[in-house]
Amino acid sequence: MRFRQPLVGLLAVGAIWGLGFLLESNLNAYIVRVIVNCGIAFILAMSLNLVNGCAGQFSLGHAGFMAVGAYVSAALTTLVPWAFFQSSVGVGVAVVIGATFAGVAGYLVGLPSLRLKGDYLAIVTLGFGEIIRIVFLNIEAVGGPRGLPGIPSRSDFFWVFIWVFATFLILGRLIRSSYGRVILSIREDEVAAESMGVDVTHYKVVAFAISSFFAGVAGGLFAHYQGFIDPNSFNFNRSVEVVIMVVIGGMGSLTGSILGGLIVTALPELLRVFEKYRMMIFPAILIVMMLVRPRGLLGHFEIWDLLPSFGRLRRRPVSRLKESVTK
Amino acid sequence: MSAADAFVADGLSLSFGGLKAVSGFSLRLGAGELKGLIGPNGAGKTTVFNLITGVYAPDAGTMAIGGDSLLGLVPHDITRRGIARTFQNIRLFRDLTVLENVLISFHMRIGYGYVSALMRLPSFYRVERENRDKAMALLALMGIEDRASTAARNLCYGDQRRLEIVRALATDPKVLLLDEPAAGLNSSEKVQLMKTVAEIRSRFKVAILLIDHDMKLIMGICERITVLDHGEIIAEGAPRQIQEDPKVVEAYLGVS
Repeated sequence: MRFRQPLVGLLAVGAIWGLGFLLESNLNAYIVRVIVNCGIAFILAMSLNLVNGCAGQFSLGHAGFMAVGAYVSAALTTLVPWAFFQSSVGVGVAVVIGATFAGVAGYLVGLPSLRLKGDYLAIVTLGFGEIIRIVFLNIEAVGGPRGLPGIPSRSDFFWVFIWVFATFLILGRLIRSSYGRVILSIREDEVAAESMGVDVTHYKVVAFAISSFFAGVAGGLFAHYQGFIDPNSFNFNRSVEVVIMVVIGGMGSLTGSILGGLIVTALPELLRVFEKYRMMIFPAILIVMMLVRPRGLLGHFEIWDLLPSFGRLRRRPVSRLKESVTK
Repeated sequence: MSAADAFVADGLSLSFGGLKAVSGFSLRLGAGELKGLIGPNGAGKTTVFNLITGVYAPDAGTMAIGGDSLLGLVPHDITRRGIARTFQNIRLFRDLTVLENVLISFHMRIGYGYVSALMRLPSFYRVERENRDKAMALLALMGIEDRASTAARNLCYGDQRRLEIVRALATDPKVLLLDEPAAGLNSSEKVQLMKTVAEIRSRFKVAILLIDHDMKLIMGICERITVLDHGEIIAEGAPRQIQEDPKVVEAYLGVS
């Protein structure tokens, strides 16, 4: 019992390493690249889901926090003349530092803007996202509009999916704790939550900061996978892409976000057979999906809620319930 | 103010632009007292609740719980000091389960931190189990414990009203404000509600301020009644006195 958690963690790390080894030695580089990009998308979608899906606050500036993580970590690994930062572990440390900066940026942006609601919040977060991008556009040290080349390509399938696993675990446990319940209650009814003693503004900002932290992780991984970043990688389109992932997958569902990330990243690749028509077909699929399932593919539920119950998973302390699934 | 007073409000006033919604509202609630607040539509009853719970800040006046001033506090702080409420138009966390609805009220005294939640330390499981048991006991009091795992929106109307009361009780209040708890209930449900309110009061030693339009309910269980009209208190006293008060009759029926 005592060693179960570390054991499961160790097994997961081993499984990810083994899977990465198998994929990278058997599949061609293009497919591996798509899979890794999916992994980065999973992290982005799961993190935005905490704000847009769980807390019910519509944020449109996720790419900005991804940019903070990407630029700060890349600046450490390319501009700091210390060999440690070029090593695999050093890059990992740089990614965490970059993500921490992104989290702090999220906290600072969230503090004033989360007092707004709905459309106004969307516009303000959009604005902050653009401001962050334009700040990097104007910093010569990181290449300005020319971008920052020569970033050590240290992230690969293994590191990206270790982070996917960590993000899933941390956000999943957070949501299924009292802290997560409180975040959900804000989505359900702010006035009632406040009346039940919930410091609504505080938890909105906390959710926003945590979400920004993981956006920063995704940014750092992205930078060290591509080996090159420029401000355009983090423009408004990127933010919208992540919102689409969350909405398609189902607001408030972690596994839904993963599904959404998979669809938005992999579907355009699968549609390459249609060549120039694919960018017409892709939005059409999105429109149909929203018409058929307006609450997203999974709605508020996780994949295992929709499967016939399988023993252990249902013994979680706060279980979501079958009865409500049928409704 | 005597030490026995759980809650005291003195001269609370609030205007919306030119409209005086509440003026000079004073109220004393003894510990464990059950008081009714009645008045015609638009008299300012719910506004009084919103003032007491910090949704609106009063233009003038003071209010205190157990001698501590509540002025300038935001709603969640006021809840922490021991004032809980229900809503006239039910405001449950609709997509959460009945149990989760109650658990949210325990959060302000949650006994574990982020680290414990993320690492799933023993304290997490212990607190979750304790809170779950406490929540189930409260639900059982209202007879809705068998609905614990249903989404709140799927409850029938009467159960939704009951859940609102349970959720407010779960914050462990000294003063409980019930805003039309009997609205929309049928007569047998109302009788049951009266019993429950009386039981809550004796078991939890909580002072209750009750708004309702149902005179039978109010007259039946409240020891004292305050009558509001146009934002001002027009009468205060025992049910019998209130029924005979000419000003109250006038406010409700008009002058002949």
